[in-house]
Amino acid sequence: MSARELAEKFFGHVEAGEVDEILGMVTPDATVSLVALNRHGPMAADGASYLRELARAFPDLMVRVRRLFVTADNTAIAEITIDGTQADDFLAVANQEKQVDLDQAWMLTFTPDDRISAVIAYWDQNQLYRRLGVKRLDQITITAG
Amino acid sequence: MTTVALPASTGTTPREDLAEATVRAFFAAYRAHDVEHMVDLCAEGAGFRYVPFEMRSRQRVLHGEGRVRTVGKAIWTTLIDSFPDLTNAVTSLRADPDGNVAAEARIGGTQARDFGIIAAAGGRYELPHLFLFHVTGDGLIDDIVAYWDNVAWKKQLGCLEID
Repeated sequence: MSARELAEKFFGHVEAGEVDEILGMVTPDATVSLVALNRHGPMAADGASYLRELARAFPDLMVRVRRLFVTADNTAIAEITIDGTQADDFLAVANQEKQVDLDQAWMLTFTPDDRISAVIAYWDQNQLYRRLGVKRLDQITITAG
Repeated sequence: MTTVALPASTGTTPREDLAEATVRAFFAAYRAHDVEHMVDLCAEGAGFRYVPFEMRSRQRVLHGEGRVRTVGKAIWTTLIDSFPDLTNAVTSLRADPDGNVAAEARIGGTQARDFGIIAAAGGRYELPHLFLFHVTGDGLIDDIVAYWDNVAWKKQLGCLEID
């Protein structure tokens, strides 16, 4: 399977909330950097934790891959849009059943045997907070209708 | 800001090497605050999108999206005016054979003037960015997209409002 196909499979699992299947695609020592959350660590811990919270909070999540290319070092670079309706607290933000769409960029580095060894994701947490109704960065749990 | 040693390019085609060279020149021009050269490295009509750039103005939301020669040039000029020591360090650079380039860069500076809702208090910031370029076969950038996190930016500069 090509890196492009593997990346599409990865985002399909993100959309479906299939975190165990995602972990099945990564090497045992795969790393993740969720830049907007300043979370950097093992995919099996930090990556899985974030993806499980995302799946729980947005059970109707849709992931649209808008752009995808693969660089010479076998890294898939994807621009995606995630879209869903909040159904549970997410990243300490209380649930107001807000509909959210957020543009993100992900970098997935593949090994020669088609496993993911590194994941880096960029997005703007300020845009996410705005869409979830948060008004101040020092009062994340307080939202406006 | 220190220059980061980059691993040797894994690009093997002239198109990849040319695209990477153009992007390195773009960031060098940005470090030199040479906005005209940044623009000269871009094709006429080059697309521009700074994804996190959303500003509330009356009942509208202004997006950092349009053309390099209009929106991009205006944003770069305003940024350099607000952060006179603005600088960058490219931390990774990857290209494909079709002219796509992904560049991670740390960008930072000290605030001297208000920028949007961020009032100038002399604060300094440094943030990781991801830039996605498309470079033509002639070595001109014809599309720029960038991602970063405004929460980290605002917190470093003492702004806690979400506009």
